[in-house]
Amino acid sequence: MVTLTIDGVKVAVKKGSSILEAAQQAGVRIPTLCHDKRLIPYGSCRLCIVEVTARGRTRTMPACFNPARDGMEVATNTPKLRDARRLQLMLLLRSHPLLCPSCDAGGDCQLQNLVFDYEVPELSFGRQSRYFHTDNDSNFIRFNMNLCIRCGMCVRICEEVQGQSELSFVGRGIESEVSTDFDRPLDCEFCGQCASICPVGAISSKWLVGTGRRFELQNTSTVCAFCSLGCSLTLGEKDGKTVYVTSSEDSANEGNLCVKGRYGWPFAYSESRLTKPLVRKNGSLVETTWDEAIQTVAEKFGAIKKSSGPDSLAALGSQRLTNEEAFVFNRLVRTVFGTNNLDHAGGYAYRSVTDGLAPMLGYAASTNQIREIRDAKAVLLLGADLTETHPIAKNEINLASARKKAKVIVVDSIRTKLSYREGFFLSVPPGSEDLIVNSMLKFIIDGGLLDRASVDLRSEGFEELLASLKDYTPENVAAVLGLDANLIKAAATAYAKAETGVIILSEGLNRYHDNSPLSKAAVNLALVTGHIGKESCGVYVFGEKANAQGALDMGLTPELLPGYHSVRDEAARTKFEALWNGQIPASPGMSAQDIFKGAENGSVKGLYVVGENPVDTYPNRQQVENALGKLDFLVVQDMFLSSTANRADVVLPVSAPYEKTGTFTSSERRIQKLNPSSKPIQGKPDLEIFMSLAAGMGKPELSYAGYSEVMSEIAGVVPMYSGVSYEKIGDKGLVWPCLDIEDSGTPILYEGGFPIGKARLAAAKPIGTVSRSSGSFKLIPCVLKFHSGSFSEWSPSLMEVCPPGFAEMSRVDMTDLGLNDGDTIKIIGNNGQAISLKANESRRALQGMVLVPYHFSKNKLNSFTDWGSTEIVIQVEKA
Amino acid sequence: MQERDALLKKKVQDSVEQIPSDQLLLLDPIIEKYQGSMSYLIPALKEAQETFGYLPMEVQRKLAKGLNIPAPHIYGVVTFYSFFTVTPRGRHTIRLCLGTACYVKGAKDMLQIIVKEVGINVGETSKDGRFTLEAVRCLGACGLAPVMMIGEDTHGNIIPSATLGILEGYQ
Repeated sequence: MVTLTIDGVKVAVKKGSSILEAAQQAGVRIPTLCHDKRLIPYGSCRLCIVEVTARGRTRTMPACFNPARDGMEVATNTPKLRDARRLQLMLLLRSHPLLCPSCDAGGDCQLQNLVFDYEVPELSFGRQSRYFHTDNDSNFIRFNMNLCIRCGMCVRICEEVQGQSELSFVGRGIESEVSTDFDRPLDCEFCGQCASICPVGAISSKWLVGTGRRFELQNTSTVCAFCSLGCSLTLGEKDGKTVYVTSSEDSANEGNLCVKGRYGWPFAYSESRLTKPLVRKNGSLVETTWDEAIQTVAEKFGAIKKSSGPDSLAALGSQRLTNEEAFVFNRLVRTVFGTNNLDHAGGYAYRSVTDGLAPMLGYAASTNQIREIRDAKAVLLLGADLTETHPIAKNEINLASARKKAKVIVVDSIRTKLSYREGFFLSVPPGSEDLIVNSMLKFIIDGGLLDRASVDLRSEGFEELLASLKDYTPENVAAVLGLDANLIKAAATAYAKAETGVIILSEGLNRYHDNSPLSKAAVNLALVTGHIGKESCGVYVFGEKANAQGALDMGLTPELLPGYHSVRDEAARTKFEALWNGQIPASPGMSAQDIFKGAENGSVKGLYVVGENPVDTYPNRQQVENALGKLDFLVVQDMFLSSTANRADVVLPVSAPYEKTGTFTSSERRIQKLNPSSKPIQGKPDLEIFMSLAAGMGKPELSYAGYSEVMSEIAGVVPMYSGVSYEKIGDKGLVWPCLDIEDSGTPILYEGGFPIGKARLAAAKPIGTVSRSSGSFKLIPCVLKFHSGSFSEWSPSLMEVCPPGFAEMSRVDMTDLGLNDGDTIKIIGNNGQAISLKANESRRALQGMVLVPYHFSKNKLNSFTDWGSTEIVIQVEKA
Repeated sequence: MQERDALLKKKVQDSVEQIPSDQLLLLDPIIEKYQGSMSYLIPALKEAQETFGYLPMEVQRKLAKGLNIPAPHIYGVVTFYSFFTVTPRGRHTIRLCLGTACYVKGAKDMLQIIVKEVGINVGETSKDGRFTLEAVRCLGACGLAPVMMIGEDTHGNIIPSATLGILEGYQ
């Protein structure tokens, strides 16, 4: 710690902190125009100059990049400094157009505020006019570089944080400006970070132009409803309509957002939103009243239950339900329907945490916080294309790679953007990442790179693991995969020797096979190298949608009740039966896959789908369509008339995430509260629908006064949530396990040991073979950063920037097939299914692989996928 | 808002000539040679400029893709150094010294003659692609004032009226 005095306030700060950071801690405000806590200090605006007295000498220096030292006396607001800052502001104003009354940033402009604060009396210098480029053609963002003050924050956040480098300083001296190459419109991630960080009006959100000033907006903070990272959003409304979305700098995500969070929200205003329930009459869906719709559902489900037994009913929940809704849905299905046939997200998306992490470590969740990744010295990405799936987590890896010189080890079948970072890229066929991990493990154990203490004291099952790894020598695995064994060895050494190392997996419906062998291998690796239970270490599993973690915590699976209690566990079941006032069947129900098989063979007759679109996203489209066709009764609860809803007998419209309350649990176990904007609710919140349906089915006691009442019931039965209440969640959220009222959450799991005693190493499965067929291609359903499942198709803004995708192929394959960019190809699966779409050359596609985004219902990509298969062999021809 | 932008007159974009795609193949050996490190960007750009004479958009984009360096970064470097150019240069570059010594000894008159007779201003290239005119601060040969360089040749002690005669030697 370093102690110094700033404007008479004594403050102790961490060694290495800048004078500016020390001042912020001391509560002294130093003006800046080019500083942001997310960026490396730059020192271009010269407004943060302070007078520093140390060892008897007083000097003037910028506070942002000079470190605080012991015994410094800092003055921040002397007349001399004020004069210097005023002069600096006058120089900036010399060429800054003074069109403040019509500027988008008026009233929210840091330059304007400082000119006001420093009472700049006149413009003592002659005006200087220079003309720079303006851009009104880019999506979402507009540039007017005449207003730019050259702080460089946009250029730096684009490079340092986003890793995109779409903007650069061009030109020289007085003619320099921020631009893309040849002033073209943007072609980037469209994260909008440049617009949000711009201190003046040079880069701004197009949607605000002519709409409103930022200070006029009525702000509501809530949680993003797209991926599972739980970024905080601030919805800015003007006249009751959301016009601008940003994120607070004080949030867990530090104000960073991706394109979906910042610009994806217009789906809530889509004209395709359903407003009234639909009931199928004479073969077509017609609008009806809520009473009739609920009555129809209750009667029909009641009749099926009566005639064919409760297990002829089944339900699919969603990772988009709030914790409270998922909990009540669970109660509805198990006690009112009387069946355990309950699942979500294809039944595979969560296997890596429930079957991998939970039995080995104790908790079915990521071990550490997302923001710790930036300090890791090694990052192992297993089939995790974070640039596309979880863009904000990708930022952390950029920071680790650039600032901590972390080695980024990418094991993937896609040449991901992160694989160009310093480190290693190990290409594997789809679904074979675990082979690499096991061979890394084998090499680490054989080479003595393991953490003996961690293995002996904190885990058990090492001998069995060692025996099961017998065949996994790097040479063997390298031969199976067609890689260089030395690459595996080098990657293993880098990870094992790093002081801190994280392992990241991502889940989603694009990974349609069981990921648990991979997560087991990852946990083994972390345990054996001692990279667990410490800061900037651990294993992360990022789920696909907003409440991926919460859906599991709330037990949306055939065999788990809320809180990971098994339905087989009599004591737990009795407790829930007493609380829920109804019987729960004792044997696990059908998984998502079994439900569709059951519907095909007639054992499942009624299906209730809440917030999912199996027709477009589940594997084996033919089976899903066929199964849905055979059902007696299908109810779909959704915001839109999705492909699944189109086949339903009753469609119940629900409210958008921005219209409701409740909580989401992010992939870092952070429970955060949603707050509704003032937008009128369209449809009904899911919770309300569940309650009226229960009442319709003769269980009016399934009723809650509100979301917070559900949360207190959750706290009573879900151990990790015992100490959770809405008051405690507050603005920043609460990280479970939170065991009692005193507990303020546990950001890092297993610091003091494992809840199951010792961690259990899992034996590896026998090494298989990998087919390397020639003449055919492998199809990889991939994720694009502009989309999230098939739901983002309803967001006009996201569809504008990323319309229905194209296939990505390597240059070699394109040349071999005689294809040029934009040519149409025909993809033919082994099952005879075929689709046509445009192909583009891409660096992401390795030779022999065809990447197609799975988001677009038009592409029907799930015609080729099947439950559990790891790779999809296809033929490609020029159409 | 649109009108406001119109008021702030948009900078005029330099017109860029297209380079046929088969000619771009000439970049492949350069990419091969400098692949893998950001720090070789300047030598790569220098060689590319030696090949094409200038660095138009297609060349920069291809280098960006091949060297895996963001295109805006390359453009930033190209526009920063006066050595690089995005527009074609003439066959001969005239560097006329306008330093104090040359200026008083007649460089001003030489400039007028060139502007009038060749028809190009400072920074421009003649329509026939013969000359590009640059004004420089000092060539370090004030004893020979006024001085002018054409390509690699230095001409000193020039009588302004002889300027055109010197240019005649460069076709």
